[in-house]
Amino acid sequence: MDSEIIFETVKLRKEFGALVAVDDVSIKVRRNTLHAIIGPNGAGKTTFFNLLSGNIEPTSGQVIYKGRDITHQPVHRTIHFGIGRSFQITNIFPNLTVFENVRLACQALGADNFKFWRAAPAFQKYEQRTWEVLERVGLKDRAFTLARTLPHGDQRKLELGMILAPDPEVLLLDEPTAGMAAEQVPELIALIQEIQRAGDKTVMLVEHNMNVVMSVSDTITVMHLGQVLAEGTPSEIAANKEVQTAYLGGLYELNV
Amino acid sequence: MAKNRFFPTLKSNGGMLVTLAVFILLPFIVGLFDGASPAQVWINGSGQSKFIQGLAIEIFILALYALSYDLIFGFTGLLSFGHSMFFAVGAYGTGILLKNFGFSLPATFGVIFLAGILQALLFGMVLPRVKGITFALVTLGMASVFHVLVISSELGPYTGSDVGLQGVVPPEFISPASQRLRLYFVTLAVLILVFMLYKRFVNSPTGRVCTAIRENEGRALMLGYNTFYFKLAALALSSLTAALAGMLHTIYQPIVSPNVAGLGYTVTALLIILIGGVGTLNGALVGAVVFRLLDYGLRRYIGESASFINGAVYVAIVLFLPFGIVGTWRLKSAQVKQGWERLAKLFGSR
Repeated sequence: MDSEIIFETVKLRKEFGALVAVDDVSIKVRRNTLHAIIGPNGAGKTTFFNLLSGNIEPTSGQVIYKGRDITHQPVHRTIHFGIGRSFQITNIFPNLTVFENVRLACQALGADNFKFWRAAPAFQKYEQRTWEVLERVGLKDRAFTLARTLPHGDQRKLELGMILAPDPEVLLLDEPTAGMAAEQVPELIALIQEIQRAGDKTVMLVEHNMNVVMSVSDTITVMHLGQVLAEGTPSEIAANKEVQTAYLGGLYELNV
Repeated sequence: MAKNRFFPTLKSNGGMLVTLAVFILLPFIVGLFDGASPAQVWINGSGQSKFIQGLAIEIFILALYALSYDLIFGFTGLLSFGHSMFFAVGAYGTGILLKNFGFSLPATFGVIFLAGILQALLFGMVLPRVKGITFALVTLGMASVFHVLVISSELGPYTGSDVGLQGVVPPEFISPASQRLRLYFVTLAVLILVFMLYKRFVNSPTGRVCTAIRENEGRALMLGYNTFYFKLAALALSSLTAALAGMLHTIYQPIVSPNVAGLGYTVTALLIILIGGVGTLNGALVGAVVFRLLDYGLRRYIGESASFINGAVYVAIVLFLPFGIVGTWRLKSAQVKQGWERLAKLFGSR
């Protein structure tokens, strides 16, 4: 029902020298949907995400969020707009505790960052929020272990916790299940779905696991060589002949 | 109510309080060995005690200086090769203002404070543009310019060019000659206050973000922190502390050698925190004691050639205590604690 556009790109383009990594991509993301981006390796998915989150500057084109042009905003503003982003390669503070990793994420949007005369634990609201988030992603028992000593799957959960902490409206998840043990994947996906539905959130997902993508997505955009090859519902994409040859290689069987 | 807060504080800072008590009593204890009663020490009547006080003042100043380097290098992860400039601005500024301009001590302090902020801004200007080793080289360049300035013959009337700044008359009430015990306690008090401020800073929301920047600056940005301002805050606090150390240095030792503006003096700070433990704060204090006593002892009993042995000792410390004295101690005691916990788990009922 709700078809309001929350996130939009207009002819977004990124060139690295002669290589066009993202080639005039225009997509529209509807509010409160789970929008997946798939494509073979080197299709430009991660670069596209980097453009959306402001990690890199586009060569040309626009990123529009809630009707506002955020193309040239510095990267540290992104979360302040309500856009949280996770990384394909685990990107945490390795020598800090799990708790501190999440606490830092909670503190970021508050107005207490420069209160250097008070001890950090005295700010109860961040401490409480941290416990809530740790509970949510199931890391409560590991709160005081160092982040680098966590198993990989738990680090992925921590990564998710760090973007959930400030409660953003849009989550950009770059392969949240990358490198996870197969039996842990459904658990994390269920968590993402639950968060998306319960919290009225918009999720954009890059994912290689086709079973996951087909079962959870509302919309799928297929990228190939920097361009949008196709866009549609999971069943439309699965039936698309072009997608079959370019990406699925005709080998994928839809097991719905 | 007060009891509840007071006793845990005592317990968790026991080691620090004992150290503090030792340093308060030190001049009087040394005086006893010299045959001087505490009353005589009080009126600076004991030569031996005065000598030890002098050595301790040097250690306190070094510790202040090393603390300021630990804040930017150990906690914020900024590798600066221009740190000696922070110190030298305080040292030279104090000397010139007292000697050439006849400023009072509070006025000098005010000017040095402003200069401290300004030089932090100067270093901060390049922060958004250069990272890591490039930042180290740019800061080295800036400090070298300052070094060239102080040894230039054109500024000789002020800086004493390559001979060094001489003939500063420190204010009478903390004169190192006649009121050394007072200067000793003033320096100790400054060190304690700065140390407590630093302890609070690194545990505050601001300091925690500085640590996050050291760990992974890209991620700190993504979390929504404009890391530039946090690095600038650390630089400013560090610069002010180093300038204050420089000021005390000139008051205690009214000769400022151009060496304190050179790269060698930055390396001194780096060496002290490597000995004591990078990113520990306590390490800067322990490192300063070890550094100064080692240097003094070897010079006294072996002579100038001792710097060779000095170097060997530093290499040994880096090889055998890779996290410094305090850092390695913390690691070991954490491991021992874990061991006991495992043992308790083994036999305890869960």
